[in-house]
Amino acid sequence: MSVAVTPATFNYVDFDPTSIQRVGEQLVDALGIDRDVRIDVDESTPLARISVDVGDEIVVHADSGAFEDTRRPRQQSEVATATALGRVLHRAADRLHGGFGEAPPDAELSLAQLAAWESYCVGRIERLGVPVNQQRWRYNFRNRHGFSDGADAAFEELWTSTGLTWPQLLAISQRAAAATTAA
Amino acid sequence: MRTYFPVEELARDERFSKITMSERMADARTVVGRTGGAEEPAKPKRNNNRLVPSRPDASDAARGLMHGIFVGEIQALEGAGRTCHDFAVSNVPGTGPTGADSNPTTGNTVPFALKLDMARQAWDEARHVEISVKLSDWMGTEIGQFAENTVLFEAACSTDPVLRLAGVNRALEGLAIDVFTTMKDFGDLAGDPYLEFCEDWMLADEVTHVKMGSDWLRKVTEQDPERRKKALEFQTVVDKMFSFGGTRSDSEESPIGLARRFRELAGFTEVEVADIAEVSMAALNESKDQVKALRAKVAEELGAQLKANAS
Repeated sequence: MSVAVTPATFNYVDFDPTSIQRVGEQLVDALGIDRDVRIDVDESTPLARISVDVGDEIVVHADSGAFEDTRRPRQQSEVATATALGRVLHRAADRLHGGFGEAPPDAELSLAQLAAWESYCVGRIERLGVPVNQQRWRYNFRNRHGFSDGADAAFEELWTSTGLTWPQLLAISQRAAAATTAA
Repeated sequence: MRTYFPVEELARDERFSKITMSERMADARTVVGRTGGAEEPAKPKRNNNRLVPSRPDASDAARGLMHGIFVGEIQALEGAGRTCHDFAVSNVPGTGPTGADSNPTTGNTVPFALKLDMARQAWDEARHVEISVKLSDWMGTEIGQFAENTVLFEAACSTDPVLRLAGVNRALEGLAIDVFTTMKDFGDLAGDPYLEFCEDWMLADEVTHVKMGSDWLRKVTEQDPERRKKALEFQTVVDKMFSFGGTRSDSEESPIGLARRFRELAGFTEVEVADIAEVSMAALNESKDQVKALRAKVAEELGAQLKANAS
């Protein structure tokens, strides 16, 4: 499967399209994605949004901040690139491999649902060998599900899981929110 | 020990990466915004950028702001410490000892009680640094994970202590009041017990620091209206610099709001708060105009490029 990156040359940031492509190819191989991937980087914004469209081709739309080294503005970070691409490609792979047929389109996911899915994705990214700060994702999960022991237990379950389906993931997310309300 | 320490020589270990205000402003992305393409109109900026949990990027935005607070606290500690040391003691400006560190003609001596207040502030800032490290850890941020803007310490490098009071204690610590209030509200809304609690305690200290700045500025310049005017002008410059891009204003388009009530408690008059609100809003509008003009320019250039490619 091929991975293409646009633009081929960056003007506002000092990014290397070859490095982005290489990270994309490694992820596509690791996740068993069966179709071509195109990564469109919008270098005109420092924001860090990233989204994915799954069709005959998988198209990733990334703001330049998603791949940026926060220590050195305008420079690319390979870890940030792998984490950002890993999040959306895991989500795409989940949809393609089955069990996520009932999941709403990305644009319709609630912030809590997205945080739960991302916790599940980043846990698997870490197991692929990408260095991640687990606390960053726990904090994001807590912001969406509340600060409680029940929410933390749900986060651990998502982080360490493999082979979840959408109904299972949704149930964990709902359980976390309910635990906070009850606390 | 040397006086008037240059910003370039601030001690930082290898975890930190410094960025100057001019480097930050040179990042074309902060003004160009989303361009889309020549055929696709630029996507408008969100109308509500206030840092609230409902923002999709809330967690990361809060982590970034928390790290900004952390490095700001380090620089505030360094600045207050320098003010304790850089000036000779005299209770009557212009009558202190002469020497390399004190020039009676410019009146850069300070009353001993002012030094005591700066020492107390340094103690507070050291505590804030510790709290900020723990909060950053709680939020999943490593020390030095974001580039450090050193402009706060730069404002603390003036050779006139009155300008330091205006630039650091009133303008920058005033901004800290706005930032802490925004973060406290964020913690409250998100249900984060530690964030809300810690920000509230640090906010109380910041109000005290601003009040000390307001009080000393009035006292030291009591007989020198020209010097007071100059100091307040410097404060306006710093206020405007920190409102760059509309980061802080009354508008919901700004991530950080203006904490009017706490500013009044800190010794700002209603007129002064209104002036800051006006400066901040002007900076926001200036930034919006700049973005609009640059977007138009980029769209025009892309259009011309496409036209040239087609022919």
